[in-house]
Amino acid sequence: MAGVLFSTWRGEFIDNRNKVIDEWTPSAFALPENYTAHKASKAFIGWDGVALFDNDIDVVRLAKEYAAQYQVYSEACGRCAPGRWGGRILYDLLDKIARGEGSYNDIDHLKEVSETMMVTSKCEIGRTVPKPILDLMEHFNDVFSDLIDNHKPSKHYNAEVNYIAKVTAPCTDMCPAHVDIPAYIEGVRDLQFSDSLSATRQTMPLAHTCGRVCPHPCEDACRRANLDSPVSIMELKRLGADYETDHALPWQHPYDPKPLRNDGKKVAIIGAGPAGLTAAYYLALEGIKVDIFEELPVLGGEVAVGVPQYRMPIEKYNKDIELVTSMEAVTVYTNHRVDAVRLKEIEAEYDATLLAFGTRLSKKVGAENEKHDVEGYWGAISMLDKVNLWHKYRIGSPAEEDLKDKVVVCVGGGFTSMDVVRCSIREGAKKVIMLYRRDEKTIIGNTTYEEYHEAVEEGVEFIFHSAVERIYDENGKITKLLVNRFELVPDPNGGRAQLLKVEDGDFEIECDYLIPAVSQAADLQLLPSEWELAMTSWGTLLTNGKDYMTSREGLFAAGDCEYGPMTIVNAVGQAKRAASVMVRYLDTGKISLSNDEIMEDHLKALKVYDKKEKVSGWMPGIARKSSEKLGVDERKDNNKEVNLGFTGEEALREAERCMRCYYISMVAV
Amino acid sequence: MLLYINGGGIIMDIKQNKSQKINVTIDGKVCEATTDDTILRIARNNGIYIPTMCYLTKVEPIASCRMCVVEVEGIEGAILSCQSRTTDGAVINTKSKYIDKQRQNIMKLYNVNHPLECGVCDKSGECELQNKTLEFNVNAQSFTTKDMFRPVENWGFVSYDPALCIMCEKCVRVANEITGNEALQINTGGYKSRILNVKKDFNDSSLGESAAVCPVGALVSTNFKYTSKAWELDKIPATCAHCSSGCSLYYEVKNDKIYRVTNDFEFSSLCGAGRFGFDFANENVNKDTQAFTNAITAFKEADTIRFSAIITNEEALILQKFKEKYKYRLVCDEAYGYQTFLKAFGNVSGENLYNANLKSLSNSKGIIVLGSRINDDNPMVKYHITMASKRNSARVAYMHPIEDGNISNIVTQFIKYEVGSEEGVTALLANALLQNKELPGSLRDFLNDLDIGNISAESNVGEEELSMLMQSLDKKEGFTLVVGSDLYNHPRAVQIAKLIGAIQKYSDFDVLLVPPATNALGIALICTLDDEVGKYTIGYNAVGDFELSCLGNGDLDMPALNQQEGTLTTIDKRVAPTNVALSYNGYTLNDIANTLGLNAKYTIDYTSMLPSKSGFKVMDFDELPFNFDMVGVEHRGYLLSTKSIKNIDTFEEIDEIPTYDGAIIYRCNEANQFNMLTNRTKAFDQNEVCLKGSAQFANAAKVKDGDEISYVVDGIRYKRKFKLDSSLKGTIALHPNYDIRLSSALVSSYRFSHLTLEQ
Repeated sequence: MAGVLFSTWRGEFIDNRNKVIDEWTPSAFALPENYTAHKASKAFIGWDGVALFDNDIDVVRLAKEYAAQYQVYSEACGRCAPGRWGGRILYDLLDKIARGEGSYNDIDHLKEVSETMMVTSKCEIGRTVPKPILDLMEHFNDVFSDLIDNHKPSKHYNAEVNYIAKVTAPCTDMCPAHVDIPAYIEGVRDLQFSDSLSATRQTMPLAHTCGRVCPHPCEDACRRANLDSPVSIMELKRLGADYETDHALPWQHPYDPKPLRNDGKKVAIIGAGPAGLTAAYYLALEGIKVDIFEELPVLGGEVAVGVPQYRMPIEKYNKDIELVTSMEAVTVYTNHRVDAVRLKEIEAEYDATLLAFGTRLSKKVGAENEKHDVEGYWGAISMLDKVNLWHKYRIGSPAEEDLKDKVVVCVGGGFTSMDVVRCSIREGAKKVIMLYRRDEKTIIGNTTYEEYHEAVEEGVEFIFHSAVERIYDENGKITKLLVNRFELVPDPNGGRAQLLKVEDGDFEIECDYLIPAVSQAADLQLLPSEWELAMTSWGTLLTNGKDYMTSREGLFAAGDCEYGPMTIVNAVGQAKRAASVMVRYLDTGKISLSNDEIMEDHLKALKVYDKKEKVSGWMPGIARKSSEKLGVDERKDNNKEVNLGFTGEEALREAERCMRCYYISMVAV
Repeated sequence: MLLYINGGGIIMDIKQNKSQKINVTIDGKVCEATTDDTILRIARNNGIYIPTMCYLTKVEPIASCRMCVVEVEGIEGAILSCQSRTTDGAVINTKSKYIDKQRQNIMKLYNVNHPLECGVCDKSGECELQNKTLEFNVNAQSFTTKDMFRPVENWGFVSYDPALCIMCEKCVRVANEITGNEALQINTGGYKSRILNVKKDFNDSSLGESAAVCPVGALVSTNFKYTSKAWELDKIPATCAHCSSGCSLYYEVKNDKIYRVTNDFEFSSLCGAGRFGFDFANENVNKDTQAFTNAITAFKEADTIRFSAIITNEEALILQKFKEKYKYRLVCDEAYGYQTFLKAFGNVSGENLYNANLKSLSNSKGIIVLGSRINDDNPMVKYHITMASKRNSARVAYMHPIEDGNISNIVTQFIKYEVGSEEGVTALLANALLQNKELPGSLRDFLNDLDIGNISAESNVGEEELSMLMQSLDKKEGFTLVVGSDLYNHPRAVQIAKLIGAIQKYSDFDVLLVPPATNALGIALICTLDDEVGKYTIGYNAVGDFELSCLGNGDLDMPALNQQEGTLTTIDKRVAPTNVALSYNGYTLNDIANTLGLNAKYTIDYTSMLPSKSGFKVMDFDELPFNFDMVGVEHRGYLLSTKSIKNIDTFEEIDEIPTYDGAIIYRCNEANQFNMLTNRTKAFDQNEVCLKGSAQFANAAKVKDGDEISYVVDGIRYKRKFKLDSSLKGTIALHPNYDIRLSSALVSSYRFSHLTLEQ
C-alpha cells in the first residue's frame, strides 16, 4: 500500500485512518513509503514522530521494537545515566505491555522515565527516542488500554516483521562521506584522540586532509546553528590525525584489517586521488587485493598536485596516503598511464575496476582568440601541477621563474582559482587579478570566507561582475585582455536578478598570463569507445549515484570523473560506497546495497537537519572558537601552513559545544 | 577538486577566543565570572551547591551523570552545568521542583539493581551513591530489570566490582588524563557497560589514583578491602616522604597502624609509591639511653655529619645550627650537587629559585625535558606533563640518552644525545631558545662563538632536530623546560646551570629544576653544605662511623618521616607540613640538639626560624594550613618567596665532550622506588634488584641474562643479577640503588658511568 495513513512527523498531524483513499491528506515529507522499488514499508518511526503506511501495523510492537533498537544503540554507548538505565526500563515496560502483562502503573512509569530521558540525556538520541513512543501512546491509547485491560498480547506480537534501523545525525547525513561526526568530536571531548581518529576512519581515511581543506557541508547542517553558530566540525578532525602522527602511533584503523583473501579476486583502481585511495582503503580493510594505477609520479591526485602546500602540507597528506599504502592488500603503480588499450587489459584481468581519474582538463574561458599554444595562456591544473610538484617533491622547476614580477590574471571563482591567485602571489608575481562574473557574496559562497579574505589580504585584486571578451597576443605571447563589465539587474517582476552587460563598461588589462580556472573536464581518452559507456550531459561517467557502477558491468566510477569537479569529501563518500558495493559484487556477482546504505539514502531524501527546529536544553550564545592563522606578512612569501589549527584547549571548548544530535530511525517492512 | 556550492552559507565566526568578564545571577546571587567558566564552577566559586555524581574537579567535565542540570531563565529545557559556559547576564536557578524531580529520577535509575550490600562494602560511609540516595529521598528501588552475572576482577593493586560500578567514568579520565597509564577504557554496552583494564598484565600502582576517585565501592584498593570501616580511621594530614613532589596525603590510622593512604582526590593526585608505600615506619622503638649516650659521645668526637635528604626542614636547620656552633662539616650527597647547581643558576637568572611549578607545567603548550628519566625520577612531574599533553596538545620534547617507551604516549619528539654531552646539548638548546632575544653582550658573544657543527656532531643532536623542535613551538606560548638530576652532578654542572639560568631569564621558557630527592630543595636553602667528609662521621640515614637510622638497625634509632612532625620543601617551592601518623617513643634529633646546647622543646619550634633570606616565612608550625578550598586552590603550609640575587653573566668555553664508549650504566630507580624507605614497604618489597639492559648492552658488557655480576660505583660495591630487558635499546643499562640501605644516600656522582665488572 502506498501513501501515508498516519503521521506525526516533524509536527504534522495526518490521520487518514477513517478516510477513503481519494480524501487522504498527503504528507509534506519524503517519508520512505517504499523501502525499495520492490518492497513497501509498513511504518517509519524516528526522532521526530511516527508514520504508518499500513493499516495492519501493530503499534505497540512498533513502539517496543523502536525501544529495542535504542537498546541496540545504547549498547554502543550507555554513557549517561538516563540513557543507560532509562532505555532499558523503556524497553522492559513496553515489552511487558506488548506481552499482555502490563498495567496502567507501567504506563505512568513509562511517562516518568521518558520525561527524565528527554530532559537530561546526553545525546539527542536519548532525548528523542521517547517522542514517537509517547505519540503512539497518545494517539493509539485505545490499543494500549485494550492490551492492559484484557491481558492479551499485541496483535502481531510474535509475527515475523522486519525492522530496520539506522542511527544518524544531521551533520553525518549532510556529509557526503557520512562521517560519524559526533563520535569523533566525542573522542576530542574525552581526550581520547585515538578513538576520535578511528571514528573518523570508519568512513573517511583522509583525516588530515579533511581536517584541513574540506569545505565542510556538515557545518551547514549543524543543529548548533539553530542556537548560535555551528560547531567547527571540520577542524576538530585534525586532533585525532595529528595525535597519531605526533606520537608516531600505530595506524588507528576502525577495525582490524581482515586477512588477505586467498580467492584470487582483485580490484583495479585507476587514479590515486582521494576517491582511489578511499576505495583502496575500504577494500583492503576487507582483505581484498587492490592495485592502484597512477599516471603521475606521485600519489594523492589533485590534493597533492593541485591544493597548495600552505593549505594542505604534503607531510600531513602523505600520512593519509601512507595509511592506505601501508595496507598489505594495496599495491600502487605510479607513472603508469592507463590508456584505452591498457584499460581493456586491466578490466579483463581484474574482477572489478574502479575509475577514479578525476577531472584534469582546464576548461576554456570562452573568449575570442583563446588559443592553448600562445605563451602566457596557462591552464590552472597545469600551473598548479608545476607549483606543487616543485614545492612538495622538488620535481620540475620553480614556477617563480615564470611568474616573478609578472602580471597574472585568473578567471575563476572557485577553490582552484583561489589556489592559482594565492600561489601566484607566493611565486612573486607583481600583480595578481581575479576576474569573476558574479559578486563577492557568491565567491565566498563558492569557497569560504577565510579563503577569500586571506587572498585579499595577500594582495589579490578581485574584479567582480567581469568577463574576458577577447584575448590579444603579439608574437605568440599574450599582451592584454578586453574585459566586459556586467551588472546585476533585479527583475521588476520579482524573478531572479539578471547579469547584464554594462554598455561602455569595457576595459583592458595588460598582462603576462591568463590562467583559466573556470572549471575542469574529465579526460575521456582512456575509455574504449567500443564500450559505449553511458555519460552525463556534462561529460562524466554516468552511474545511478547509489551503487556507482557504470553502464558496463564490473566497471565502477567514483569521484570527479563521475560527478564532475566537486569536493574531496564527495569523492571519498562515493568511493566508500563504491567499495562497499564492490565487496558484495566480488562475493555474489550481484550489485546490491546494504540496509544501512538504503536507509542512508532514505534519510538523505527525508532530510535529517531541520533548520527551523527550536533547540532546547542548551545554553545559547556560546561563541564558536576559531583557530589562529598566520598573519599576512608571515605567510605571503612562503608556503607555511596558514591555519595553525586549534590549541588543545580551544578544541576541547569547541568539542563541548557539540550537542551529539544522534537520531535513531526505523522502518518496518 | 573544486567548487563546492555552499547552500546555506556559514555564519561567520564570532572571533571570541579570549575570555571575557561577565556577571551572572545564580539562585539570586550576583556572581562575577568569565566566559571560560562553567556554570558549575561559578556556582562553586560562590559557595552554591549543585549535586553531581560524575564531576571531578581535576579533570575535564565528564558529563555522564546529568545530575547537575540547572534552569536558565528564558531558556527552555535543563542546562548541564558542569560543561556549559554561560553568557553575560544569565539568570540561573539550581533548584526547582522540576529539576529536583529529574535528579531524583536519575538517582532512581542509578539504584536500578544496585546491590544492597552496604553492610560489607568498603565505601559505606563515604559513598556518593549512598549520600545522594538519601539526599534525593529515594527510599525504594522502584525500577528493576533482569540482572546479569558480573564477577569481581582482581587487577593487582586494585580490584573492580562491575556490579557496584555506576559508570561515572572518573577512573578512566584519571588514567588517561592525569596518570597517563591509559589502562582503563569504557566498554560501552548500554546496560552491560563496564570498565575494562586493557593492561591487566601490567600491575600498575598508578591505578590507585583511579580507585581513589571512585564514588562507590566498585574500584577499591585490593589490600585495604574488608579491613576496616571508613569511619573508624583517623586521617592524619601529611606530606609524602618519597620524592621532592611532596604531595599532600592523609595517613589513615587505627590502633597505631596505617591502613591506607587517601588524599584530596578531587584536586590532587599521588603516585603508586605515595598511595601504597606507607608502611616504612621505624616501629617498636623505645628510649635506649645507652645508645643515646653513645650518640652524644660520637657527636663530640665527630667532625662531619653526613645525612640523606629524607629529613625535615627543621632537622636541616638543627644540623645547620650544629655546624654554626661546632663547625661540623655538613655533607648531604643527594643535595650538594643541586645546591651548587641552584646557586650557579641563580647567578645568571638573577633569582634564587626556578620560576615554574607543577601547575604551570600542566598548563604549558610546549615542554622540553632535559636530563631526567622523568617517568621513574618523578611521577608527579610526568603526570603534569601528561595533563599538558592531553589537555593542551602540548609539544613534548624528551631529550635524553635513553628512549623511554613508557612515555611515548605523551612525547612528541625524542631527541637522543650522547652520554656526557649535556653541556654541549644545553648550549645548543640555549642557542635555539635565545634566538632573536635581547641578550647581554657576554652571552650573545658566547652563543655566537659556539662551534655548533662540532657540538652537534659530538652530542649527536642534529641541527635539524632542534629546528624541528623550534618549528613545532612556533606561534605557541606557555613553555616549560624541565631539568633533571642527570645535570646536577655533571662535571660541567656549573656551566650548565648558568646556561639554564639564561634560558629562564631571557627566553620564553619557564624552568623547573626537579629537586633530586625528598627535601633536597629545603636542604639546599637551609644548610651550608660541604663536599667532603672529615675523619669521623655521624651518619643520619646515611653511612657513617656512628649511624642514626630510621631503618631500625643503626647505632641510634630515629623516627621515619611518618612518625615526625615538621615541614618539607617541595618541588612547588612550598613549605608543607607533615604530621605524626604513628607513635614513636625513641630519641629524636631534637633530643640530641638539646643535649648539645640548642634549646627547643619540640622540633617544630624551629619552623618559625627557617632562614628568611632564602625565602622562608616566620610562621609557627601550628599556624600552617592544610587544605584545598572549594575550587581546588591548595592552601598547605606556604610558598617560599623568591629572592633576587645579583646577576653575573660569565660563561666559559664549552669543554671538550667526553666519550662514553662500551657498556654504560645509568643510576635509575624503577617506578615506585625512590630510596631506602620505599624499598621497605610491603607493596614494593623487591626480592631481587637487577641491573637491566638491552641485548646490545649485554654484548658490550659481555654478560648474559641471569648472570650474577659485581661492580663498583661511587665506591659502593654492587652485587646484582643482570636482566635482559627487551624494552631497552643501546648500550646503557639501568642501575638501581634504592636497595642498599644507608649507602643509597651516598650517591653524588654523574648518573652515567662506565661499567667495570669485578671478577
